[in-house]
Amino acid sequence: MALAKLSLELKPSENYLRDLMDWSEEIALRDGIAIAEIFASKWVYDIATNPRLGRADKVKRIRESLRRMRFPRLARIEDEIQQKIHLLKLQPEIRMTVPRGLEGGRLQIDFSVTNQKDLKRLADKLAAVAETNVTGEIFTLLGGVAGGSEPVSGRQT
Amino acid sequence: MQNFLPEEVIVEHSSEASPIYKNLRRALPDVPFRFIDDYASANGSANLPSDSFGSAKKKLFLAKHKGEFLKKCPGSEGQVCCNYFVINFASNCPMDCSYCYLQEYLADNASLKVFSNVGDLIDEADATLRKHRGLFFRIGTGEITDSLALEPYTGMVREILPYFAEQPNVLLELKTKSDCVDDLLDLDSKGRVVVSWSMNPQRVIHADEHATASLTERLNAARRVQDAGYRLGFHFDPMIEYPGWETDYHTMLEQTFAAIDWRKLSWVSLGVLRDTPGLKRTMRQRFSRSQLLTGEQVLCPDGKLRYYQPLRVEMYRKMVGWIRHAAPLVKVYLCMESREVWEQVFGYAPSCEKELGNQFGSLTI
Repeated sequence: MALAKLSLELKPSENYLRDLMDWSEEIALRDGIAIAEIFASKWVYDIATNPRLGRADKVKRIRESLRRMRFPRLARIEDEIQQKIHLLKLQPEIRMTVPRGLEGGRLQIDFSVTNQKDLKRLADKLAAVAETNVTGEIFTLLGGVAGGSEPVSGRQT
Repeated sequence: MQNFLPEEVIVEHSSEASPIYKNLRRALPDVPFRFIDDYASANGSANLPSDSFGSAKKKLFLAKHKGEFLKKCPGSEGQVCCNYFVINFASNCPMDCSYCYLQEYLADNASLKVFSNVGDLIDEADATLRKHRGLFFRIGTGEITDSLALEPYTGMVREILPYFAEQPNVLLELKTKSDCVDDLLDLDSKGRVVVSWSMNPQRVIHADEHATASLTERLNAARRVQDAGYRLGFHFDPMIEYPGWETDYHTMLEQTFAAIDWRKLSWVSLGVLRDTPGLKRTMRQRFSRSQLLTGEQVLCPDGKLRYYQPLRVEMYRKMVGWIRHAAPLVKVYLCMESREVWEQVFGYAPSCEKELGNQFGSLTI
């Protein structure tokens, strides 16, 4: 009923509502709690009654918070990677991202330039970034933390 | 393992001359048999019960298969493929794993069917194997059924195995979660048949592999077929991640490699739990308390849900490490995984499906 009330108030899209239903059901099953308990939480109340947020932002925040509850370890790794990207102090022209859910294990780097001088400057910055421990740590996080950064064995014959 | 006792066996008239029919009659003397003209017309979708997939497992159809028996395994889009072929001699399975992809794949045609035209199966395989003697075929029979769970009743493998054992360019894989190996022990596989088990710790078997053989029963059966001269394979698939999974899987691996001679093991495959959003909806309806629903899975580009990549890479690395420790030379591969995951786990990915397929070809004697 708590979710129904929330849905009536905030009118999430069909996809968002499906995520809220599926994730809350799975959290309840995993943690042995009632779904109603999740939506009666203080954090839901705080977002839902925040006067500074519009309806769409409230839905987004509730969904994101619920996603973090549903996927706590994934969210933690995503956060760690974001913090490490921040530590690299990249130029504003360079955008470094990882895929949502970390599938593919790839670090995506986007930048655009309008002249050769800028290209050289950004390339030098990226070359320096590639040498840092922080960058290595990002790839370690993408490649499975506890397993270490090295694969377990070579080619089999 | 739970015995299979169908409520009814429904036989197409055209299947009465089949050896499978005679085997069923002998093995199921107390089960009523009903005869029909045609499977397609008798299996209307009207009045389906609410759990139609589960109910379908209670009646056994014996019918002629009208399509092709031998097919290339479809694999999964964008994933490294192991160049596998499948022969479907039955459809659906008497067991009931909560994660089974057949719940979605066979949703519109869930009947438990065994195909009676064994001669057509062998003729079709023979035409292909003769035409391509220079190619090596790894053929499995466990794609849309369990290869051995129905063997005590149908005798299907006893009918087809002698033919495949004579073919120089084939390795026939019988993949199972059962312990139904009694009828194989006196057959000569000539090194061309691999009996393989889908393996999980007893905790997972108990929770999610309903009506299958226990871990101990599977290992006892594996030892018996190895002693009878068969090659063995193990599929640690689907691996399930839960608090304490490492201890359970490590212990299971130790038990496995202690029970058999790993030097005669043909291959070991690894794969994590995969489902689709549609399958997950079915699982919610049929197995609403299953903890499999709560794993940290994300949607991958091939439309399947898997544990997020760093987690499953870590699982694979641990498993490969434990396997290497217990059985240093055994061939290990990943099932339905991307090149990126292969590289993160092994440090390389097969260049193409032929490379991986050829590695299995070199295993024949």
